[in-house]
Amino acid sequence: MSPVNRRQALRTMAAGTASALWATHLTAFAQQVADHAHVTAASEGAAFVPKVLTPQQFRTVGVLVDLILPATETPGAKAVNVDRYIDVVLRTAPNVDRRRFLGGLTWLDTRSRALFGKSFVGATPAQQTDLLTRLSGTGGARPEAPAGVAFFEAIKGMTIAGYYTTEVGLRQELGDDGRLMLARFEGCTHPEHQ
Amino acid sequence: MQIISAPKVYPVIVIGSGASGGMAAWNLTQQGIDVLLLDAGEKFDRAKYWTHVTPWEARERRARGEGPPAFYLDTKEQPYFTPPNRPFDLTRVWGHGGKTNVWGRVSLRLSDLDFRGPERDGWEIPWPIAYRDIAPYYDKVEQLIGVCGGDDDSDSLPGSKFLQPPPAPRCGEQLLKKAATSIGIPIVAGRRANMTRPTRGFPPCHYCGACGSGCDTASFFCSADHLLPFALSTGRLEIRSNAVAARILVDESGLANGVQYFDRRTGAERQVRGKVIVLGASTVDSTRILLNSKSRQHPNGIGNSSDVIGRYLCEQIRFHVRGFLPALVGTATRNDRGIGGEHIYMPRFNHRPGHTRPYLRGFGAQFWNTGASAGGAHAGSEQIPGFGAGLKREIKRRHPAWFEIHPYGEVLPYAHNRVTVGGNGADRYGVPFAKIDYRVGENELAMAQHMADTVEEIVKAAGGELVGYQRAALDHNGSAIHEHGTCRMGADPKRSALNAFNQMHDVKNLFVVDGSAFPTATEKNPTLTILALSWRATDYLVESIKRGDL
Repeated sequence: MSPVNRRQALRTMAAGTASALWATHLTAFAQQVADHAHVTAASEGAAFVPKVLTPQQFRTVGVLVDLILPATETPGAKAVNVDRYIDVVLRTAPNVDRRRFLGGLTWLDTRSRALFGKSFVGATPAQQTDLLTRLSGTGGARPEAPAGVAFFEAIKGMTIAGYYTTEVGLRQELGDDGRLMLARFEGCTHPEHQ
Repeated sequence: MQIISAPKVYPVIVIGSGASGGMAAWNLTQQGIDVLLLDAGEKFDRAKYWTHVTPWEARERRARGEGPPAFYLDTKEQPYFTPPNRPFDLTRVWGHGGKTNVWGRVSLRLSDLDFRGPERDGWEIPWPIAYRDIAPYYDKVEQLIGVCGGDDDSDSLPGSKFLQPPPAPRCGEQLLKKAATSIGIPIVAGRRANMTRPTRGFPPCHYCGACGSGCDTASFFCSADHLLPFALSTGRLEIRSNAVAARILVDESGLANGVQYFDRRTGAERQVRGKVIVLGASTVDSTRILLNSKSRQHPNGIGNSSDVIGRYLCEQIRFHVRGFLPALVGTATRNDRGIGGEHIYMPRFNHRPGHTRPYLRGFGAQFWNTGASAGGAHAGSEQIPGFGAGLKREIKRRHPAWFEIHPYGEVLPYAHNRVTVGGNGADRYGVPFAKIDYRVGENELAMAQHMADTVEEIVKAAGGELVGYQRAALDHNGSAIHEHGTCRMGADPKRSALNAFNQMHDVKNLFVVDGSAFPTATEKNPTLTILALSWRATDYLVESIKRGDL
């Protein structure tokens, strides 16, 4: 399938979910940027300076991406610069999506202060996890405000798009063998599926 | 002494170098005819394709200011117009080979179910040809371009005798195939123009799966690799690049005698003279050229006394379904790149007893993105609930288990589905833009319900779970990139623009050989049939020249 077809399929399928449309836009956009990023996060080295996010927002994003995809047997999202990647995606994202994303970060801090008396970064890991559990709708608690839920879906989609398009994410974590020159294609060799 | 030199008159001018124009130029030059080929772009450089570039390498390269070839025409350069709230996605590739540089390669013969469809159900005009007329050309095309597939012919998908071995199915495809077959829904090996054997000096597919970025070894059919170089080697082909065809020019009698085009780099207007014109600029662009070719002799656009040109635009409805197969969750990740896209195909079956419903025509289905994604996590991963180590574990476990089903259904030809020109301004050369006004009707919506039922039955039989499912949520019109019908062939000159050999009823030295010539869209991918029809049309053209008819 051509990249254009894939994008169209992504867009259509994303539109079919219950997510806020802007969140799926931003995720689909992140997936495109994963293929076609204009600037690489990793290549900017240790001196990376976010261009869209303030230092405080950048720290918040760093905490969020590691909560979403933490280190396990393989490195987590922050270790492979997914926080930088998100700043890069936001640089070229449509203005309206960027504004909503930044608004979502503000919402997160406001909500964190209301619940815990601290900004999101200042909250304990348990409190941070508690708030994300509310946002992800997996904890059985009362639903959070749609703006917060949409923000969570957006950054979750961007984190997944960024992480699994790194060598760590695709090769180490997902186990892709990376082979691009095969003499023949074996297909399914599971005996039970023949 | 004043020397007045007459402009060169080419025996044949071909417009467009994709499947239709490339085939025309190839066949004509093989048969000793000199051809001038006009293409709106340039040759894409195979050495610069990004087929073996990982996503992280791509980011590094972008940072250095590099990029892969820009295949797709930017609508900022060449807009087209649609009515408010009725979008139509038009995908164009201006450059040698056209869309065959990046096409999906699905190569399905039409059958008499397709050719005889209008006769049987009475909707719009019949095809002027039957399967027996085109079958010898399908045979020749398949041997020329290299199509892989199975020995699994049926009334809806005939003619497997020249296919190369198909790649084995991936695990997910194997499970879907077994499940569908168990409930009477046919699944066959995909038939696709990926070479699985060395063919005419080209190496076979090496299974990198990156066909959508172009093929760096020319192991799938692309007109720019498989037709144009062979045409050039005859010494009879001249290619003029960056030549944006605008109008077909005519003489006093109304016959075509040349082409007006614009140099894409300089904007300069040029005219070339030819005895015969073959138009293969793709459905919408060819139609735009024909409708803009207004003259005293052809006030409604060249060859359009019937007023059918621009009408009956027909494409295909489709939707996309994704999910995962629990039987494969947690299995080891496999290299599922294969020939890119699917290795299986669901041919039409809704004409068979027990499967019929009260709507016209039919549908098939493709299965791309089934198996472990090689470009990152599958797009469905973001819909796995939650976050944290549990999410990460589940994304990994599901990675080999994703499947997708993409049914394609025929859209009937309707007179109101139209390409028109005028009223929306003009491009940088002063040539009026195309406007596309297109919508689907009750028949298509009824078919979409049957498509959805079929997909749900297959998934249920396979024990699959759907993710983010929205029943029969149609993709944008135009997204199948299978436009047809706006310059259709037919026996009746009052209801068609072309005869059975793609020759204009009104203008005998003008042939239109792309998808616009199809009277119906069918549910199938059109390129194989475009190649066969263009070959057949240009055989007829050569015979006509030899007979002195042109």
